[in-house]
Amino acid sequence: MNGVPFPLTFGSGETFLLTAIVLGFLFGLALERGGFANARKLAAQFYLYDMTVFKVMFTAILVAMVGLYTLAGVGLVDLGRMWINPTYLWGQAIGGFLLGIGFITSGLCPGTSLVSAASGRLDGLVTFLGIFVGTFVFAVAVDVFPWLDRLYEGASLGVSTLPTVLGLPVALVVLAVVVMAGLAFVGAEKVERIFQARYGTIDLTPEPTRRTPRIKFALAGSLVGVVVVSLAWKATPPAPPAVRPTSIAPLTLAEQLIARTPDLLVLDLRTARPDGDMGIPGAVAVDSAGAVELLGRTNAGVRVVLVTADSTPGMVPAGWPADRHYLVLAGGYSAWTTEVLTPVEPADASLAEQGRVARQRPLAAFFSGAAVQSASAAAPPPVLPVGGGAKKKRAGGC
Amino acid sequence: MSQPKPYWNPYAAGVLLGLVLLATFLVAGQGLGASAFPKRTIAFVAHEVAPAWTDANPELSAYTADGANPLRHWLVIEVIAVLLGGFLGAVISGRFKPTVERGPNISVRRRLVFAFSGGIIMGFAAALARGCTSGQALSGGAMLATGSWIFMMAVFAGGYAFAYVVRRQWI
Repeated sequence: MNGVPFPLTFGSGETFLLTAIVLGFLFGLALERGGFANARKLAAQFYLYDMTVFKVMFTAILVAMVGLYTLAGVGLVDLGRMWINPTYLWGQAIGGFLLGIGFITSGLCPGTSLVSAASGRLDGLVTFLGIFVGTFVFAVAVDVFPWLDRLYEGASLGVSTLPTVLGLPVALVVLAVVVMAGLAFVGAEKVERIFQARYGTIDLTPEPTRRTPRIKFALAGSLVGVVVVSLAWKATPPAPPAVRPTSIAPLTLAEQLIARTPDLLVLDLRTARPDGDMGIPGAVAVDSAGAVELLGRTNAGVRVVLVTADSTPGMVPAGWPADRHYLVLAGGYSAWTTEVLTPVEPADASLAEQGRVARQRPLAAFFSGAAVQSASAAAPPPVLPVGGGAKKKRAGGC
Repeated sequence: MSQPKPYWNPYAAGVLLGLVLLATFLVAGQGLGASAFPKRTIAFVAHEVAPAWTDANPELSAYTADGANPLRHWLVIEVIAVLLGGFLGAVISGRFKPTVERGPNISVRRRLVFAFSGGIIMGFAAALARGCTSGQALSGGAMLATGSWIFMMAVFAGGYAFAYVVRRQWI
């Protein structure tokens, strides 16, 4: 999209979904190899005689973090196109603490319960079933108790990363994490040995590594740190991340336009419009620069529908305000034409198709001016929440 | 697969896991996850049973917005593949074993009750925190997301704080 190769942009088609099979398979394999199918080995982390959880997890974090930020530093990864976990302080602090309690109670976490179940452990399967119950309980509870919803949504910082929060260069934060993890590994090995004298070791734990590999590891770690510093030092803090729009079906948009759903802004981003083009009523035809200017005059939370010719863009262009709710017309204007303006009624429609046709008929009449057009229906359609003035636009970012 | 082989050196397993995570960043533009699977399954079933309730639900509506199928998602496929990877990994190394892992001082039944209760707590917690050890601590941690690091510290704090209470189960 902007010449930066990663992350790859597949859209959400089958090819993209297929990559999940390979990577998920390797994820499961790595967890099993590390011993994460065994609840006793995981639980031992909290009694200090087997620190495998900490060691595997932090080694993985170091490798992925150094790799990601190094590649971003040399311009091969666009962090702005990545989905980075947004920060909700209350949910993450309290949810994390509860998850820790659940972790030591069941001996597994959600990911490892899968691997545990897959390797024959009944306790893994039972834990996984419990997770379903707990997830459902939350979904109901967050609906019933407003205070829980406030907790869930509360203290939101949007997408926030440690370098921006601490105001430090990325490379320095990366290096600090590498150094701290390295020291913690040395400490973990020492603590582990002390408590193993008391509680023994878990079956199948590999022989403890002797001096040489640890020194090698420390050397490799510092080398990597130096490389990162040199590479990423010039990198600026991550740009405000692009917003990933959700999609809206043509029929849904048509119905919402008729219902004059408030706070809905339709932007027609097509670069070329054929003669006799009907457009979408109420839509504003703009180019990207015009859109930014127009969006600057809308309030936060406005729902913005993006209309392209026939593709479904995966990302909102960089530089657009992040706190609008972006929707993409699925299939673009060509889908609007085939589904809303000139729908084809199948000859012998199934029950589901009949329902769809019943939905399409009045819409086609309304928007393409065919058949049953009535005076009220022809009234100029709705909603352009521009201006307002009352609410001040929040400055960009989150 | 006569004798089960020992686990890998934890640092080696960590390097493999880290490379998989890095590849996921580059390919999918996001991290790995686990708790997305129960969430999306429940969103799917709820939408079949009670569409209006689901579309208005503060949590589940995010997965079903605009007629999206919550199960048609990268993380859902990934979790199914995790099961495969875990299964094959265990079989190849002779570590597949139908059993219940437990400490020496607890019965199988009590252990399963604990496992189920812990699962319920974690399901609730992972929904509240918008992710679990995989999606938040591991993936968000490697991306240096602020909330993910807070989550990670909180998980260890919760685990160590509660370890004494359930010690009979493990040691």
